[in-house]
Amino acid sequence: MYDVWQNTLAEIEQQLSPANFSTWFQDTTLLSTKGGHIKIGVKNTFYVKQLRNRYYNIISTALQNNRVNVVDISFEVKSPVKSKVRSREVTNSPLVERIKSIRRPTLKSDKPRQDGLNQKYTLDNFIVGSNNDVAVAAAKSIVDAPGTRYNPFFLYGGPGLGKTHLVQAIGNELSLKNPHLKILYTPISDFFSDFVDAVRNGKGKEFNRKFQELDCLIIDDFQFIVNKEKSQEEFFNIFNNLYQLNKQIIVTSDRLPSQIKTVDERLASRLTWAGAFDLQLPKFEDKCAILRAKAELMGAEIEPKAIEYIAENVNTNIRDLEGEFSAILLMSEVRGLTPLELIENGSVSVNKSTKLRPVSPRQVIDKVAKYYEITPKELCSRSRVANIKNARQVAMFIISKELGLSTNKIAAEVGVKDHTTVMHGIRKIENDLKLNFALRDQIETIKEKIYG
Amino acid sequence: MKIKVTQEKLSRALNNVSRIAIGKVTLPILNNVLIRVDNKKVSLITTNLDMAIIDFLPVSSSEDGVITVPAKLLAEFVSNLPKGETITISSSGTKVTISTGQYSSTINGAVADDFPELPEINNKKAVTYKMGVDDFKTSIGQVIIATSNDLTRPALTGVYFNTNDDHLAIAATDGYRLAEKKLIDKVKSEVKAIVPASSLQEVLRSITDDIEEVEISFNEDLVRFRLGEVEIISKLIDASFPDYPKLIPKDCNIKVDLNREELIRVTKLAALFARSVGGSIICETVTSDTFSVKSIANEFGENDSKIKTKVTTAGKINLNSRFLLDALNSLEEPVITFQFSDRIAPVLLTNKKNNQYTHIVMPLSS
Repeated sequence: MYDVWQNTLAEIEQQLSPANFSTWFQDTTLLSTKGGHIKIGVKNTFYVKQLRNRYYNIISTALQNNRVNVVDISFEVKSPVKSKVRSREVTNSPLVERIKSIRRPTLKSDKPRQDGLNQKYTLDNFIVGSNNDVAVAAAKSIVDAPGTRYNPFFLYGGPGLGKTHLVQAIGNELSLKNPHLKILYTPISDFFSDFVDAVRNGKGKEFNRKFQELDCLIIDDFQFIVNKEKSQEEFFNIFNNLYQLNKQIIVTSDRLPSQIKTVDERLASRLTWAGAFDLQLPKFEDKCAILRAKAELMGAEIEPKAIEYIAENVNTNIRDLEGEFSAILLMSEVRGLTPLELIENGSVSVNKSTKLRPVSPRQVIDKVAKYYEITPKELCSRSRVANIKNARQVAMFIISKELGLSTNKIAAEVGVKDHTTVMHGIRKIENDLKLNFALRDQIETIKEKIYG
Repeated sequence: MKIKVTQEKLSRALNNVSRIAIGKVTLPILNNVLIRVDNKKVSLITTNLDMAIIDFLPVSSSEDGVITVPAKLLAEFVSNLPKGETITISSSGTKVTISTGQYSSTINGAVADDFPELPEINNKKAVTYKMGVDDFKTSIGQVIIATSNDLTRPALTGVYFNTNDDHLAIAATDGYRLAEKKLIDKVKSEVKAIVPASSLQEVLRSITDDIEEVEISFNEDLVRFRLGEVEIISKLIDASFPDYPKLIPKDCNIKVDLNREELIRVTKLAALFARSVGGSIICETVTSDTFSVKSIANEFGENDSKIKTKVTTAGKINLNSRFLLDALNSLEEPVITFQFSDRIAPVLLTNKKNNQYTHIVMPLSS
C-alpha cells in the first residue's frame, strides 16, 4: 500500500512547486482504497480543506495513473508520529510506568489468563512437514501423556520456524484436555526478572512455591539465559524439583544448550536428557503447504503458481514467508490485480532469499579463504592440513548449495582430484552441520560476507 | 481593498496575528497576513498550519477585497507610525499602500489565492463552553507548566480538556509530574481533547485587559477560542492522553499542612545545594512537629531547614526541587497540604481549602 502512494506522490511532486508539495503532501499516508473509496491520512485538520479544495483532481488523476480505482477521496486526520510512539515505549517515565502498573490488574480481571498462553496457537494450525514432523510427533505424545517419555522436551531451531507456536500449542492442548492443570509459559528473560523482583521484595520463597506447584513449565528463548549464578541456580532447582515429580518441562532455544556459553554444564546436560528436537527450514513442498493453509485461513484467493513463486523465492524462515505472502495479498487488494498478475508484471520482487545476487565460485573461494585466514591458493592446494582441508570442504559445500555447480566443475574450481572427493566433502559438511553449531554459524557468516 | 483604521487598533491587531507568521520557510505565503474585507467586515488572518489567529478589526470605512502582505514587515511599519493617526491601507494588484498624514509606503503583497483555506468549526455540532477570562488565564498557567516538549510523545505536549463527573477539567503531564485543574462545574456536554501547549500560549498572549469572557468550542479535531474580536483556531493532538485520574493518590499515610511561602523559601535554599545532584532534595516528616527539607552536595556542604507543623506519621521522600517549586508557585492559598505515602508513590500537593487544583510529583529514587 505504501508503494502505490509513494509512486503517486512522485507524480504529484512533478506538478507542484517544491514548497507546496512538501508543505501539503509530506506527512500524508494512504489509509485505504477499498472499493475505490480512497482514504488519505493527513497531519492535522488544517490540511484537509486545502487538499480537498485545491488538490483533489491532481490526487485523483495521479492515483488512477497508478492503477488505483478512484470513486471518491476522503481525508482523515492521522498523525504520523503515532506509530513511532509505540515503538519507543521502552523509554517510559515513572508516571507512565505507574499507569501501566495500575492498569494491569484491571486487564487481568477482564480475562483471567495468567499462564502466558495465547490461544491462537494450536496443534491443528501448525503445519507438519518433513522439516518438523519428528518434533510434532513428540509434541503430540506429550499432550497424550505429559511428564513421561519426552521430559524435558527440548526444542531448538532458527528464528521464525515455529518454536513458540509449537510449545504454546502443547500448553493449549494440555489445558484443553485438563483445565485443572497448572501450566505456565514464560520466556527465560521474564523468569529471571520475576525472580530478581521476587528476591528484592523478599518473596523468593513464594516465587519458588509458585513454580513448584506447576504441572507443566514452558520456557521460551532459553538462549537468553543470563550468566548470573544465583538465577541459574534457582532455575536449576526448580527444574530438578519438577523433573523429580514427573512434571512436564518444555524448553525452546535457537541452539543446543551446549552451544550457549553462559549455561552451566550440569543444566546443559539435563536439558537434553530426553533428546533434543529441532525444527529445520521447510523444504519447497512444505512452504507451499504452509502458504496454502495460510491462504485458506485468511480466506484469500491466490493462484497455485503464485504460491510456488513465493515458496521458491523465500528461503530464510517461515515468518518471512508469511510476511511476504501477506504483503503480496495486501498489494493485490490495493492494485486490484491478482497475486500472479502482480508477480508477472514485475510489480513485486520477493527477495527474502539467500540467493541474493549471482556470485562466481572464485568469490566464494576468496571469502572462505579469508574467513579461515588462509590464502585462496592454499585453499585450492592439495594440502591435508586439517584447517585448510576443512576450509576447502566448506567452500565446496557453499558452491554446491548456493551456485548449484556440478561436482565435476567444483572439483576443477577448487583443484581437487575428482568429483568423488567433492561429494565426500559436501556430505561431510552436511553431516557436521547437524550437530556442529559453530560450523553452522561460520557458514552463515561466510554467506553474509559473500552476499553482503 | 481599502480600510481606514486608527493606528492603535491596527497595530495591536497586527502584533497579535503576526506572532505565528514567522519562521516558516517551507511555504513563504505563511509569513503573510491575509487581509480580507467582506461587506464592511475586516479580518486579519495568519496561520502556521497548526493553528490560525483571526482578528476581526473594527474599521471606520472600507472597500471589499482581499490581499496578503508580509506580516512582520507590516506590523513593524505600523507600530512605528505616530499614535492617534488614522491609517489607510489600500491595494491595487499585489501592491499594498499604507498611508497616513505625511507617511506613505508601498509593500509588495501576494494574491490571496495561495493562502491556505482554514478549517472551520461547525457551530451546531461543536461543544462550547464559556468562562471568565481571568479564571481561564490562571488555570491554563497552572497546568501548562506540566506539559512536556518531547515531540515523540505528542499526547504529553498538550493540555487535556476532559469532562468527568459533570465538571470540565484540564490536565497536563510530562511523565514526572501532573497538574489538574477543575475549570467549570456542572457541564452538560462532554469533551476529551488535547490542545497543543503552543496554541494555548498564543491564546494566553492574545488576552488583553478589555476582554472578560472566553468562549471555547471543540469539534472532532479542532478547537476555537473566542476572545472578544480575536479568534484562535488550533488543531487538536491526535493521541490518547493517559488515564490520569487513576494516578492521583486517593489517600496518603502522611499528611502535613505547610505555610506555602515558608516551604518555597526552604525549598529554594535546599535547591542551592542540590544543583550538583540534579536538584534532588529530601523532604522528611518527624513526629510530632517538624517538617524538614534537606539537601546534600558533597563538595559544597549541606543544608537542613525545618518548618514547624503538626506531624502524625514519620516519613521521608526525595523530590526534584524544581518540580516542587513549580507546584508551589502554582498553588494559591497561604497554607497548602503536602501528602505522600511511601518512597515510590507520588506526592500530592493541594491548597488546604480549595480543592480545584491538584498537583502530583513523582519522587526521585534515592
